[in-house]
Amino acid sequence: MATVTHPLHTTTFKLPLPLRTEISHPHTLSIKASLSTNAPLPGRKLRAAVIGAGPAGSSAAEALASGGVETFLFERSPPTAAKPCGGAIPLCMLHEFDIPSHLIDRQVTQMRIISPSNLAVDFGKTLRANEFIAMLRREVLDSFLRSRAESRGANLVSGLVTDIEVPNTSSTAPYVVHYTANNSRHALSVDVVVGADGANSRVAKSIKAGNYACAIAFQERIKLPDEKMAYYENMAEMYVGNDVSPDFYAWVFPKCDHVAVGTGTVRAKQDIKAYQRGIRERVKPKIAGGKVIKVEAHPIPEHPRPIRVRGRVALVGDAAGYVTKCSGEGIYFAAKSGRMCGEGIVKASEGGDRMIEEKDLKREYLKAWDAKYISTFRFMDLLQRVFYGSNAAREALVELCGDEYVQRMTFDSYLYKRLAEGDRWEDVKMVCNTIGSLTRCNIVGS
Amino acid sequence: MSVSMALFSPPTHPPSFSPSIPLKPHLTLKPHLSLGPLKTSVFLLSAARASADNGAGTSASAATALEPDADLKISKPPKAVFQKDESTAGANGSLGATEAGEVEVVSKFEDTRWIGGTWDLKKFEKDGKPDWDAVIDAEARRRKWLQNNPESSSNDDPIIFDTSIIPWWAWMKRFHLPEAELLNGRAAMIGFFMTYLVDSLTGVGLVDQMNNFFCKTLLFISVVGVLLIRKNEDLENLKKLLEETTFYDKQWQATWQDETPGSSRN
Repeated sequence: MATVTHPLHTTTFKLPLPLRTEISHPHTLSIKASLSTNAPLPGRKLRAAVIGAGPAGSSAAEALASGGVETFLFERSPPTAAKPCGGAIPLCMLHEFDIPSHLIDRQVTQMRIISPSNLAVDFGKTLRANEFIAMLRREVLDSFLRSRAESRGANLVSGLVTDIEVPNTSSTAPYVVHYTANNSRHALSVDVVVGADGANSRVAKSIKAGNYACAIAFQERIKLPDEKMAYYENMAEMYVGNDVSPDFYAWVFPKCDHVAVGTGTVRAKQDIKAYQRGIRERVKPKIAGGKVIKVEAHPIPEHPRPIRVRGRVALVGDAAGYVTKCSGEGIYFAAKSGRMCGEGIVKASEGGDRMIEEKDLKREYLKAWDAKYISTFRFMDLLQRVFYGSNAAREALVELCGDEYVQRMTFDSYLYKRLAEGDRWEDVKMVCNTIGSLTRCNIVGS
Repeated sequence: MSVSMALFSPPTHPPSFSPSIPLKPHLTLKPHLSLGPLKTSVFLLSAARASADNGAGTSASAATALEPDADLKISKPPKAVFQKDESTAGANGSLGATEAGEVEVVSKFEDTRWIGGTWDLKKFEKDGKPDWDAVIDAEARRRKWLQNNPESSSNDDPIIFDTSIIPWWAWMKRFHLPEAELLNGRAAMIGFFMTYLVDSLTGVGLVDQMNNFFCKTLLFISVVGVLLIRKNEDLENLKKLLEETTFYDKQWQATWQDETPGSSRN
């Protein structure tokens, strides 16, 4: 006969928890199910350091602090630092992260995609009345998330993290975070480190997570005269073509009172200025008379790092490489991965009472993340390979975007991050149209 | 500016091209591409000679038939100034200045039949019906021209033309059918000789071969081979394509790969 004992408090057990069976003696089989095999922490809470307080770091810190873990959130830049970024976030982020609407600068309801031969297609007919793409200033969004994490109990440390000491032998020795604050050097011992420090992550370097290929995004912020700005009131534009980018797209995104005109590339980084000239040329009539107020550039990861979790260190957001191909979207995935990681740690440590291990991080965070989003990322990679390869393919892409079904599917997938409910027959038609457009445009594009 | 796909009805079965391989049309458009080092493209107003095909009375129409040598047709260099090459190529690295001093001439694609952002089909008429081959050629030339002289997109002058205006049978007749003929011919030759060979070696006739599983497998492999491998380079391309398709996935799985069994490194 089997007896099942629950040595700990009576919470419902969910599947991924580890189970141990032991045969105590030959005639009875007893199965002990424990919540966790990890050692309880003597008289203190689990201590976590989150390096980087952007969307990923702040979400992780918020989840950790709300769950009872003692959290330290490190950030080197002052809250007003503007990050070079498109600043577009999907609706699901507004809902899931409770972003108040007064932070939104603009609600983009029209997206125009323009082919190499300047065929323009308007996306947005299928949007419902309350649907839009929210454009925000990064500094506004980031400070909001950061202060919310603080209000949940995270300790915000303004300082530059210089190094993470990784213990190599014992499994309970702490990680030591070395940082500089107020012109003096400090060190902090923690149990868990969450690396949310972006594309040039120092945490990733400390755990030897490996490198990834990066795209470079380059943009100029241009202040337009009022009548030209009216055109971009709630319209964003995407330009494709070899003259503006060999493997990505160029954009004109409206911001609070100016537009950001930029482009990006992976393989031709040294020619980025030429591509920027290219996009300026393409948009010339619409930005004539504008003044450039800022020029900025930033690397964007193209794929995840080879190692995303090592020991009790986990990478989230840009540091891990969670940026979709084809659209280059990263804010939502950064925030979501930070939150999933934080929640995973809270769960594995039972609210900060137990030490956690690498396998907990992998199970609660990595596995859950991959299961949820890998098909999205794979699909975007496929789109990029098929449609950004040549001018002919780009023309086909723009032609296809004219179809209402395609627009509806695209927006549903983007805004809600879910595989939209499709009509089988329309799907088949869409596939046929895709093949047809690609064939025709390849022929005509010679 | 919504583009209606109303005129385009999808072909009953997709043409024999594998969709994920960018199609390189190895047909009559090819000679058109190998133009001189100046990259001057062929088009625009004054024609080297009027084509006999084009019944339209416009004397200024560029030749539409593709068969004649492309070299003879380089009538004049394009009117445009190559902006990208000649602009102050980073003379002052700072892009802080506005556009003012950079480019004087804005080039635009011009052709008598290109009106209001689309091809005027009436100008392509032959025997009262539009000559679709001519439309395809004209559009191909326009796109090639735009590759070298990208135009600014402007709201006052939108482009409306999209390839779905051209009916599907025009594409079939011109591009699919010749290729299909080629491939079927190859398959027939292979089939005939393989049948003969197998028959002479084993004495099994055609009908009995078709009933045999091994022979059916061979048949399948040859058909797939004829479809996929059309040029020598295709073999390499297919291998690379397979690699590429799985590469991104490998990058995602890398973090799971590194586990050395039994060790948890801190």
